[in-house]
Amino acid sequence: MCSRPGAGGAERMGAMVPLAPPAPAGLPRRAFLAASAGLALLAAGCTAGSSDTTAVSTEEADRLAEQVAVQEAVVAAYAAATTADPALALSDLAAQAGEQLDRLRAAAPSATASPAASAVPSPAASSSAPPAVPTGGDVRTWLRGQVAGAAAAHAAACARQTGARAALLGSVAAGLRGHEAALA
Amino acid sequence: MADDGVLDEGTETAALQEVLAAEHAAVWGYGTVGAALPLDAREPAVAGEVAHRDVRDRLVALLESRGADPVTREPGYTLPFPVLSAVDAAALAVVLEEGVSAAWVRLLDQATEPAVRELAVGELGAAEVRAVGWRTAAGRTPVTDALPGLPQA
Repeated sequence: MCSRPGAGGAERMGAMVPLAPPAPAGLPRRAFLAASAGLALLAAGCTAGSSDTTAVSTEEADRLAEQVAVQEAVVAAYAAATTADPALALSDLAAQAGEQLDRLRAAAPSATASPAASAVPSPAASSSAPPAVPTGGDVRTWLRGQVAGAAAAHAAACARQTGARAALLGSVAAGLRGHEAALA
Repeated sequence: MADDGVLDEGTETAALQEVLAAEHAAVWGYGTVGAALPLDAREPAVAGEVAHRDVRDRLVALLESRGADPVTREPGYTLPFPVLSAVDAAALAVVLEEGVSAAWVRLLDQATEPAVRELAVGELGAAEVRAVGWRTAAGRTPVTDALPGLPQA
């Protein structure tokens, strides 16, 4: 056993449990996988035959499509920042932003993919497209602001979703909070 | 979500209890993290422990307010690996933060109340920010996680 330095006797007694199990018991892997396969409505646990539930789920799906547009803007921001200042070495973060976008698209059946998904936002994302990188400005700070805005938008949307969609949006929001920290 | 696909206060409360259990473990684990760090490098560990204590107390209050009996700290925990250096300590902190992140995501999946989801997404983000710092200290690459708390597809 790896005992904690200075740990009290009570902590060394009795049944020991793993400090951090690999995943919470009963983690709904099936639901997340279903969402990734574009079956978000099914994964959200809609009650079959319930028109109310179906209506709510359709609304939630539309909201998730809005977040796809937000994420497309993040991907575009990374591409613009890399072009403006290649020395920033953003490849890892940009790849993760793309991974987040892929997961959101897979979970949002109503979202339409843009033709050049990795670099150019779709028309639906035009309102969320980032402004141009400020000429002569601090690209890193600008990018951090774009990421922060998207994280806040995803977090707000998360609170209005349920089930697997809420979990996905919350995770993406948290991932972007991590990007903010890395860009600080 | 529940096996029958229905989310209700019961599924939410059960998930809150899982988060609380993870927070108990994190509070305990941060004691080990701090003890393995030099005195002049313990501030992040102290901050992490305080943050997890605060969340733990909020969860206890929330569960009690809905008539549930909050889970208590385990009598003992086993570390996933020996913690003998500052790098080990940082790696353990990553494990702790990723553990609570998984529990918060589980809660997001199970919650019915928007206020609970707001709590969860906020704390999930805070855990990932701390994890970034610890991954950096542990020499991990990349230092960020695209989808904190989500199981791999």
